[in-house]
Amino acid sequence: MNQTPSAWNRLVDTARGAPDTRDVTAPYGFATRVAARAWAGDRPTGSVFAGLALRAMGVSCLLAVLAVAANYSSVQHLFDHASAPAATAAASPVPDDPMTAMVDLATS
Amino acid sequence: MSDDQPFDLVGCLQRVRGKDQDAARQLVDHLYPLVIRIVRSHLPRRVQEEDLAQDVFLKMFTRLEQYQGAVPFTHWVSRIAVTTCIDQLRAQKRRPEFRWADLSEGEADALDAVTADTSASAPDDALAARELVDRLLGELKPDDQLVIRMLDLEQKTIAEISGLTGWNQSLIKVRAFRARRKLQKLFAELKKKEGS
Repeated sequence: MNQTPSAWNRLVDTARGAPDTRDVTAPYGFATRVAARAWAGDRPTGSVFAGLALRAMGVSCLLAVLAVAANYSSVQHLFDHASAPAATAAASPVPDDPMTAMVDLATS
Repeated sequence: MSDDQPFDLVGCLQRVRGKDQDAARQLVDHLYPLVIRIVRSHLPRRVQEEDLAQDVFLKMFTRLEQYQGAVPFTHWVSRIAVTTCIDQLRAQKRRPEFRWADLSEGEADALDAVTADTSASAPDDALAARELVDRLLGELKPDDQLVIRMLDLEQKTIAEISGLTGWNQSLIKVRAFRARRKLQKLFAELKKKEGS
């Protein structure tokens, strides 16, 4: 326990003495590139609206599907009502057509 | 901009907030030495220092509106630089296991010198010692690595580290303790491998 921390301390003490001769000034063009990229990050108003419109469209589609699903019983009733005459017509032996009815009456 | 005149940071920040690109360039040039020193001391493997410095500056510009002046601007930027480095360190994959055979001659000598039983011995080659320190620190978890680097290499206080990382002081002490225990284990393993 007591040898190892001192070994580490001796190592870092020596390592701290390592000279760092690397240049710390910004490379040529670095600041210009960074500044340009920083402003490029600001999106124009048009593209912000476009992004919002796409999201709004997605949300409205989802809401429409949810609304139909929530009110399915009412919608189903309407469909049943619309298909009912066709079903009764197929089941009934008497035709609904008035002309046919008149011809039938004339011939009888 | 002349080197003789002090840099007008407040004025420059005002102009940067007004989207003055020239002021932004001046600000980057002014802060580059501070940022690059932080980046270099915490640089993860296989990451270009310039890329990481660029990330730091882009974050700085993005968050500039949040800077209220509660702390000096350079301190605020240093914190962004440190947290960016931590994120990069966390993102990198774990380093493969450290082996005795991976050490260069200088690193092996440095290790011999510090693990020798005589307490007075110290490695002669500071650069090799620095490389060995980097290798050993690479074995630690990113957060522990950062704490030990700041405490032992940069000789920062716990309070300073807390200010730069946003971690509370107890957490820093726990991380330092955990890291030193891991280093102790590494030294013991290396010594055993050297002997075998």
